[in-house]
Amino acid sequence: MRLVLTGGRASYGMALGRARLEQPSRYLIDERLLDENEIGGEVERLTLALAAAREELRILREKIHGAMTREVAEFVDAHSLMLADHEFTNGMFDLIRIGRYHASAALKMQRDNIVAVFESMDDPYLRSRKEDIDHVIARVQANLQRDTSHEERKLAARTGEILVSDTVAPSELVPLAEHGVLGVVLSSGSTVSHGAILARSLHLPMLVAVHDALAYIQDDDLILIDGEQGEVVVHPTAQDLARYRTWQRDATQKDKRLALLRDADTRTRDGVSIALYANAESPADIAQARAFGAAGVGLYRTEFLFLQRKELPNEEEQFLAYRDLALGMGGLPVTIRTLDLGADKTDSSGVALDGEENPALGVRGVRLSLRRPQLMASQLRAILRASAYGPVRVLVPMVTTVEEMHDVRRMLTDCERELRASGQTIATHIELGAMIEVPAAALALPSIIRSVDFVAIGTNDLVQYTLAVDRNNDQLANLYDPLHPAVLKLIANTIAVAHKAGRRVSLCGEMAGNKHYTALLIALGLTDFSMHPALMLEVRETVNTLDRAALRVHAAALLRAPTRAKIEHALARLSSAG
Amino acid sequence: MLEKEITVSNKLGLHARASAKLVQALHGFQASAFILCRGKEVNAKSIMGVMMLAAGLGTPVTLRTQGVDEAAAMQTMVDLFQRKFDEGQ
Repeated sequence: MRLVLTGGRASYGMALGRARLEQPSRYLIDERLLDENEIGGEVERLTLALAAAREELRILREKIHGAMTREVAEFVDAHSLMLADHEFTNGMFDLIRIGRYHASAALKMQRDNIVAVFESMDDPYLRSRKEDIDHVIARVQANLQRDTSHEERKLAARTGEILVSDTVAPSELVPLAEHGVLGVVLSSGSTVSHGAILARSLHLPMLVAVHDALAYIQDDDLILIDGEQGEVVVHPTAQDLARYRTWQRDATQKDKRLALLRDADTRTRDGVSIALYANAESPADIAQARAFGAAGVGLYRTEFLFLQRKELPNEEEQFLAYRDLALGMGGLPVTIRTLDLGADKTDSSGVALDGEENPALGVRGVRLSLRRPQLMASQLRAILRASAYGPVRVLVPMVTTVEEMHDVRRMLTDCERELRASGQTIATHIELGAMIEVPAAALALPSIIRSVDFVAIGTNDLVQYTLAVDRNNDQLANLYDPLHPAVLKLIANTIAVAHKAGRRVSLCGEMAGNKHYTALLIALGLTDFSMHPALMLEVRETVNTLDRAALRVHAAALLRAPTRAKIEHALARLSSAG
Repeated sequence: MLEKEITVSNKLGLHARASAKLVQALHGFQASAFILCRGKEVNAKSIMGVMMLAAGLGTPVTLRTQGVDEAAAMQTMVDLFQRKFDEGQ
């Protein structure tokens, strides 16, 4: 029976394949009973997991500061005390020793017993605090699992299959694509999450927020992902298959056409040169950036060196990464963004704060770096040392005030002086730039611009902060709109102020790589785009059809348009004008 | 052995954070400490024990201490209850 489910288009394209379901099971509970000789080992595992969980809380406690300190610290204290409470832990050890249960099962049974007591409480607040039990148990379970398997979970989907799951971590997407998985359907998630961005760069068709996917799709069902329509077709008909074949033929033709643009200039019809920079982290990105004729690297996100690891990369390790980046780009400029951890990008090395009440508005980006001056200094030193191998620029994320740029500039100057004094070769001038992604920075740009050498607009966060819409919340996906008049005004204003001050301005959010926005951004005055290298050829193709002078004429009308509908209308006119 | 009756007077009752403060305050006393409530008796030095009492606002409880420093331990407990666990309400 043909069935159509709808969702959000996280990544375009179509895919046809067998469904492979990954049911959400956060923690593996081993239900088998232990043999006599396994009991000692299992007691030891639980002891270690409890100790590791307590240690995590101790570290967390040390890192807490700011407005919510007292409240958060009290929760951390309570959770630590629970982990240390023999009346809590003895029951689990008894379940292992006497009941012969695995530690994971003992934890779950103890959790269920205690939660049952909470659920019978009359007082609604006290009843709701079974959350505390769940948090504590989850922390211990996570430590138990970490010790059983180093890989977090194994996704079963293989070549020719489509993964259907509740969520997928960005780190899981790359191996999926490498193993020939054709597409991904998620029951939750958002089209602007990091996973979605990655799926687009991998050309992996992906739909998110397909709420009933796990209920209606079964293992081995033939399903068709239609990333153009935002639909999954379960048991597609002959008609669906014909549509898929047409799409496939068009896609092949498009690939051939784009391949011809690899060595072409990026120039509007009226002869204005547009610079396409690459957002690149991996050697594969850098190779692609070179192959597709990037003007340089517009955004190198250093947090990828910090994610998914326990210890911090030291100056030497960072230096080698940045040096290889500079060498890989063969003399083209490379923009290295300082650490942007926090909010939806947390690390396991413990730099970013855990448990912030409102992490998107919390200690992230430059705020985190300025609180960890040694970490920042080692990063700046590594970048400065890499400057001997090619032109590098330093970009600072989440800037809100000009004072933050003064602080970073001072640190950069100090690091430069120290390195020169110790005889290191570094470039004579390193450009320092600010990310404009907080509305305050966009509005206060006339004061900030004098303190920086260049600016880069980060539209993903600029949209989120301007519209007060969490970009990972699929309930609000329709409100997350880069075409909101307020967002366009901030972008146009940033470009105009920077150009007037004689500073380069690039745009490196998702908008830059979306060809539907290319005419709009050129109309607003943008000449430097930075995007995933996989998107460069499409954007180049689009740029080469546009007439910049004709587009610029329409900028004022675009900015006057009061509604999204009017902006869409003006955009449609732009396409014909360009 | 000392015993004292007292009523839970902080708005949220003996939830995790309040219980944690009680346990932390009793840390270092040699005396054993118990809370009796609705026929149950729990170790006041065990956060799980105190939380599982489900003692909300207005619940009458009996505090009991026993040991060399039982008077000081009792006073510490009573103070914390009377200060509403420093929660301000």
